[in-house]
Amino acid sequence: MKPAGNTAEMAATIERARFDAELFRRMGRSDREAFAQLYDRFSRPLFATALRILSNTAEAEDIVQDVFLALWEKATTFEPARGSAFAWAVTLTRNRAIDRVRMRKRRSELLAETTAEDAGTQPAGAGLQAGDELASKEQAGAVRAAVAALPLEQQKAVELAFFGGFTQQEIAEKLQEPLGTVKARIRRGLLKLRDTLGGRHD
Amino acid sequence: MIDDHHEELASLYALGLLEGAELASFEQELAQDPALARLVSELRESTAQLAFTAPAAAPSPALRARLLDELDTAAKWRAQGNVIAFRTPIWLPWAAAAGFAIACAWLGQLYVTSRFEAANLRDQQTLAEFKLKSANNQMEAERLVATHQLGAATEQLAALDRQLKAEGDLAKLKIATLASLAGNSPQALAVAVWSPLRQEGVLNVEKLPALAADKDYQLWLVDPQYPIPVDGGVFTVDPATGDAHITFKANRPINSVAKFAVSLERKGGVPKAEGPMVLLSQ
Repeated sequence: MKPAGNTAEMAATIERARFDAELFRRMGRSDREAFAQLYDRFSRPLFATALRILSNTAEAEDIVQDVFLALWEKATTFEPARGSAFAWAVTLTRNRAIDRVRMRKRRSELLAETTAEDAGTQPAGAGLQAGDELASKEQAGAVRAAVAALPLEQQKAVELAFFGGFTQQEIAEKLQEPLGTVKARIRRGLLKLRDTLGGRHD
Repeated sequence: MIDDHHEELASLYALGLLEGAELASFEQELAQDPALARLVSELRESTAQLAFTAPAAAPSPALRARLLDELDTAAKWRAQGNVIAFRTPIWLPWAAAAGFAIACAWLGQLYVTSRFEAANLRDQQTLAEFKLKSANNQMEAERLVATHQLGAATEQLAALDRQLKAEGDLAKLKIATLASLAGNSPQALAVAVWSPLRQEGVLNVEKLPALAADKDYQLWLVDPQYPIPVDGGVFTVDPATGDAHITFKANRPINSVAKFAVSLERKGGVPKAEGPMVLLSQ
C-alpha cells in the first residue's frame, strides 16, 4: 500500500466520501438498506475509537449504538459541503466517548489499559463484507503509515489529544513539556497529516 | 494567508481542545474567514482519520441486528401514528373556556386561602416569639436565684468547715497546770494550753515572785522527740501581783507536749535551761 496523498489515493478518498454522502441521502428517506451499508463501512473504526478511549467493550458498543441512531435520525441534516460523513461520525463517537470517560473520572487508568486484548472484542472485520473490509484495511494502513512518519513527540501529542480527552494543560503535564511546545507539536503534526492524507481541498 | 497562531488555534479547535473565551473568540473569527473555515474542515478530516490508528476491533454482530430491529420498531410506531386522524371537536373551545374559568376561580380561592394561612402563621410566629422571650426571662430569674442559693450554701459550708476544724483543734489541745517546785514560790500557779495544729499556746501565771532586773522567766516545752526541753520564750510578771498572761510559740516544731516547765534565767533567756526550775506541769 502506498502512502496516501498520491492522486489515486485522493481519488479513492473522494469516491468514498461521495458514496457515504449518497448513503446519507438515502437514509434521509428512511432507507434501511443504506443504514446497514453505512454501518458496515463505519462500525469498525467507530467502535475501535470508542474502545480505545473507553477501554470497555460494552460501553463502546453503547456509544456506537447511540451514534448510529443519531446518524439515522439526523441524516436529513447532513451537508457534504461542511465535511465528510465519516468525519461527522467520528466526531460524534469521540465526543460521546470522552464525555463518558470524564463522567467516570477514570481516564488516566483507562488510557493505560490495552484495548486490543479486550476479551469481549470481536475479530477485526467480523460482520463486514469483503469489499468494505479490504477498503477499510487499506485506509487504516495509509493512516497508520502517515502517523508513523510523524516525529515521535508529535505522534504522542496528537494521540493524547485525540484519544485521551485531556485539556491542553493536562497534555502538557502528561508530556512534561511547556504548553506552547505542546500546541506547536499538535499544529505541526495535524498539518503534516493533512498534507500526507490528502485532506487539502485545493 | 493564515499565520502560525491561527493554524495552531485551528488544530486545537479540530481536536476539541479550545475552551471558554478562546473558543468563543475563535468561532467568531471562523464565521468571518472562509480560508480559516476551510483549514478547520481539512484538519477535521485528517483528525477523523486517526480513528484508524486505534487497535483493530469490531462490535459484536448482535449490535447490527439490534440497531436494525430498532429502526423497524420505530418505523412501525411511525406508521401507526400516521393512520390515526385527529379532528378537533366542536365543543373544545367551550370546554377550554370553562376550564379556564374554573382554573381562575380555583386560583382565586387558593390566593385568599394562602393569605389567610399566611396571616395565621404570622400570628403563630409572634406568639411563639413572646413565649420564647418569657421562657428566657424565667430562666434568667431562676439562674440568679440559683446563684444566690449556691453562694449561701458555699458560705454555710465554709462556716461548718471552720467549726469542725475548731472542734478538732479543741479536742487536740494540751492543757496542763504548772505547780511550784522545791518551795521557792509556794503560791505560784500556772495554766498552759498548747494547740498542736496552730503550734502556739497560752500561759497564765499567778503569784510568781517578782524578778530582779537582770532576770527573766523562761518557758520550756518537753517533747519526747528532742533530748532537751524546747524553748518557749521568756516573760516577766507584774511585780505587784506576780501575774502574767502570754501567748507563746516554741522555737522548734512540736509533735506532742509531755510537760511544761518555767525556769528563772538571765535576762533575754538561754538556749538550754541553766537556772532553777520554778514551775512544772504534772
